[in-house]
Amino acid sequence: MALWVDKYRPRELSKLDFHKDQAANLRNLCKQSDFPHLMFYGPSGAGKKTRIMCLLREMYGSGVERLRSETMTFTTPSNRKVEVMTVSSNYHLEVNPSDAGMYDRTVVIDLIKQVAQTHQIEISGQREFKVIVISEGDELTKDAQHALRRTMEKYVATCRIIISVNSTSRIIPAIRSRCLGIRVAAPNETEIVSILQNTCKREGLALPVELAKRVVDKSERNLRRALLMLEAAKVAKAPFTANQEIPDLDWQVFLRETASQIISEQTPAKLEKIRERLYELLTQGVPPNLIFRGLVEQLVNNCDMSIKAKTLEFATEYEHRMQSGAKHIFHLEAFVAQFMNIYKSSFLSWS
Amino acid sequence: MSARKKTWVRCAFSEMNLTTSPAPSESTPEKRTRSASNVSSSRVPRSRTPSINTKPVQIPDVESVDLTAMDDDQDADITGPPPEVKENWMESFEPATSDDLAVHPKKVGELRDWLRHCEAVRKKFPAQMCLLTGPTGAGKTATLRVLAKEFGYQLQEWINPIDCEVVNALGDQTTGASYVGSHLEAFKSFLLRASRYKSLLDSQNKRLLLVEDFPNVLLSDKEVNFEELLEEYTAYGKSPLVFIVADAKSRGLNISYRLFPDQLKAKHRIEHISFNAIASTIMQKSMKTFCSVMQQNKATYKVPSTAVVDSIVVGAQGDIRNALINLHLSSLKGVSSMPTKQLNVSVSAKGRKKKMQSTLKSIGRDESITLMHALGRVLNPKFNEDKTMLHSPEEITEAFNTEPRNFVNFVYANYLPHFKEIDDVVTAIDDLGLSDCMLNEYRDDNLSVMGLNVAIRGVMMANTCPVSGWMPVRGPKRINIQPQATLAEQRLVGVAYAGIARTLYATEYSSLVKLIAGKLGDTTSSQSTDSKQVF
Repeated sequence: MALWVDKYRPRELSKLDFHKDQAANLRNLCKQSDFPHLMFYGPSGAGKKTRIMCLLREMYGSGVERLRSETMTFTTPSNRKVEVMTVSSNYHLEVNPSDAGMYDRTVVIDLIKQVAQTHQIEISGQREFKVIVISEGDELTKDAQHALRRTMEKYVATCRIIISVNSTSRIIPAIRSRCLGIRVAAPNETEIVSILQNTCKREGLALPVELAKRVVDKSERNLRRALLMLEAAKVAKAPFTANQEIPDLDWQVFLRETASQIISEQTPAKLEKIRERLYELLTQGVPPNLIFRGLVEQLVNNCDMSIKAKTLEFATEYEHRMQSGAKHIFHLEAFVAQFMNIYKSSFLSWS
Repeated sequence: MSARKKTWVRCAFSEMNLTTSPAPSESTPEKRTRSASNVSSSRVPRSRTPSINTKPVQIPDVESVDLTAMDDDQDADITGPPPEVKENWMESFEPATSDDLAVHPKKVGELRDWLRHCEAVRKKFPAQMCLLTGPTGAGKTATLRVLAKEFGYQLQEWINPIDCEVVNALGDQTTGASYVGSHLEAFKSFLLRASRYKSLLDSQNKRLLLVEDFPNVLLSDKEVNFEELLEEYTAYGKSPLVFIVADAKSRGLNISYRLFPDQLKAKHRIEHISFNAIASTIMQKSMKTFCSVMQQNKATYKVPSTAVVDSIVVGAQGDIRNALINLHLSSLKGVSSMPTKQLNVSVSAKGRKKKMQSTLKSIGRDESITLMHALGRVLNPKFNEDKTMLHSPEEITEAFNTEPRNFVNFVYANYLPHFKEIDDVVTAIDDLGLSDCMLNEYRDDNLSVMGLNVAIRGVMMANTCPVSGWMPVRGPKRINIQPQATLAEQRLVGVAYAGIARTLYATEYSSLVKLIAGKLGDTTSSQSTDSKQVF
C-alpha cells in the first residue's frame, strides 16, 4: 500500500508542479560538475524533501532511488550507544540527527567522517562526492551545528551536505553562510487545488472544488497534510461530496480540548491535569513549539479582548524561554499558569 | 613450579629482614607493603631467577595484612618513650572479638553463617564468594577481620600496586629494560596463587582472600573481564573470596552496581550482605568502650566529656571510623613532647567543643540530607517567629549543587499539590522556568548553582498558603520518544517511508494514516486501541 503522498510524488525536477522557475535553476546547478552545500528552507509540507530527491536523481540518475535503510550505532564520549536510522543509496545518505537528541553532535561528526573518508570507487560518469542529507536541521543543537561547520569545511572534497530546515533562524550564521540557501515556499491555494484534482483524476475520482478548497484551508497550505486528509476523507466516504467531513489531526483535537479545559477551571489541581495532557502530547512526539502555538491560538480565540494582548505578551516571553531552556514542559506549564491567572482575575473583576 | 617456590622463599626472607630490622613503624599494613615492595623490586633484577613475571612484587602485598601483630605493638607503644603519637593509633581501638563489634548482631550473624557455609563445603567447593556493601565506616572490614580470626582464617588482602616493575624475558642481563606490567594480570595471579599456596610464615592453614581495592582496569574497562575472572576463580580458586565495596551516591561510581550485576551474583552464587550505617545507640556504647581504652593510655589521652562524645556520635552519622577519629582528636592531651601540630589541634579542640554541640560543622562529617528530606523542606517551608526561614535556601542549594538538574526536576514534579492559589503557582513556575534556562547555560559553572537557588527560593517563597496533608513524592517524568516510527507503523505507511522522523510522523501522518489503513481492512487493531488509550 502506498499513500497518495508517496505514489504521486514527482520524481524529476522537470515534473514538479509548482516553483517551476526554481526547478529550472536547480537543473542548471546540476549541469555543472560541482555544487556547493545546500540548505532548503521553507514550511513543513512545501516539498523540500521532494526537491532534494529530484535534485539527487538529476545528478546521479535513477540509482538514488534504490534505497536501503539501516540502523547505525554511534558511541558517545560518555560511552553511551546511540542508534540512528539512516536511509541511503550508493550516492547519498539521509539522516535525521535530532533522533539522537542531545547526542546529535557525535552523530554528525562520526557520520560525516565515515561517509567522507570513503571515496567513490567508480567515478566514471559519476560525481566524485557523496551527498549527506540532513533532515530537520533546525532541531540540531548549537553544539552539533558548530561541529558540523568544521566538518563541512574539512571534507568538502568528498562530500556535500544538503540540510533541510523549516526556518533558518535556528541555524547558526556560520552554517548559513556556508550553504546556498534555497527557499521552498508553501504552494498557494490554486496550486494545491490543482494538485489535489490531478491526483483525484489519476485515481479515477471526481473532486468538487469546494471540498478541495476546504481541504486546503484545513491543511494550512501544507501539501502533505492536504493529500493525506483527502485520502483519509476518501476512505471515509468514497465518491466525494462538496460538504463531506474532513478528518482532523487527532493531536489538534486533543489540544483544542485541553484549551477548553483551561478556560473551564483555573486551579492548581486543574493545572496538574493539564500537565498530564501536555506530557501525553510530548510523549507522542508532537514538537513543543507546535503545542505552544496551537495552545496560544486556541486560548486567544476563546478569551475576552481585554486579556488577549496580555496573553500574547506572556506567550512570547515563555516561548522564548522554551527555546533557551531544556525542559519544555516547564515553560508550557508556566504559560498555562499565567493564562489561568489573568483569565481568573479578569473574570473576578467583571462579576 | 620451582620458580614459584623460589619466590615464596625469597619473599619470606625479605619479610624476615624487615621484621628483624628495628622498624617500629611496621604496624600499618600499607606502609609495610610499600617498603617491602621497594626492597623486593630493587633486588629482583640483580639476584633472582629470570622469567619471574609479576610475582615478586605481588606477593609482599599479599602478605601485608597481619592481624596478630597489633597487640604487641600496643604494649610497646604505651610504655615506650616515643614522642610521636604512634602511627596507627586506631589499631588500639580495633575490636578483638565479635562482641566488641559495633555492627548489628544480625549482620555479623549473616557473615558468620556464610563462613560456616564455606567451612561446610570446603572440600567440594572451596571458592565461595561474598560481597559486603554498606556506607563508609559501617564496620564491614572490621567485622570480616574479627570473624576471620574467629574461624582461623589467614586474611590476605589485595592492594593495588603503585608500580609494578617487572623484569623482561631476558632478565639476567640487567638492561634496565623493565616495563609496567598489567594490573589485571597481577590481580589474576594474586587471586589464583594466594588462594592456593600458603606462606611459609603462616601458622594458619586456611586462607581468606579480601579484595577491597579494585584494580582500576576492572572499573574502566567493560565488565567482561571481571566475569571471566570470577569464572576462572570458581574453577581454580581454593579459598573463600570476599569483596568489600563501600556505597557511593552516584551510580557511575558505584562499584557494587557496576561490577556485580544481579545475574552475575546469581550465576556465581555470590552472597551479598549489605551493612547499614551504625545505629547511634550502638555507637554510643562503643564510644564508651573507646573511652575506657583511652583511660589505659593516660599519657596521650584525657577523658572527653560526655557532651563531646554525644555530639561526636551525632556528627558521625553512623560512620564509626569518623567518630573514632573525632574522638581521638578531641581527647588528645597536649603533652609537651608532642609535635606542635598535634598540640595546636588539641588546644583548638577545646574551643571547638561548644560549636560541635550546636552545629558540628568544624569537625565531623558534612551534614548530608537526603533528597526526600530536602524536598520536604522546599515544599513545606517552615518559618521562625521573626518570619525568617528555618532552613535557608542556600543551605539546601549547597547540598545539591552537584546535581542541580535532578533536584529541580524533582521540585517541579512535586510542587503543584502543595499550592492552593493559582497566582502563587505563577510565581513558582516562573522561577522554575527561569532556573531551567539558567541550568541550560553550560558556559558558566556558577550559573547552575544560581539556577538551583532560584528554583528553590522561588518555590519556597511563592507559597503563601500551603496545602498541608500527606502527599506522595513523585519522581520526575522522563519523556522517551521513540526516535523512529515503530515497525507496525512503518507497515502502515509502507517501507519506503522508513526515513520519516518521529516528530513528523506524530504530527502529520499518524492520525490520518490510521484512518486510511483502518478502513482498508489492514489488521491494525493494536494500533487503534493504542490511540484510544492516549487520545
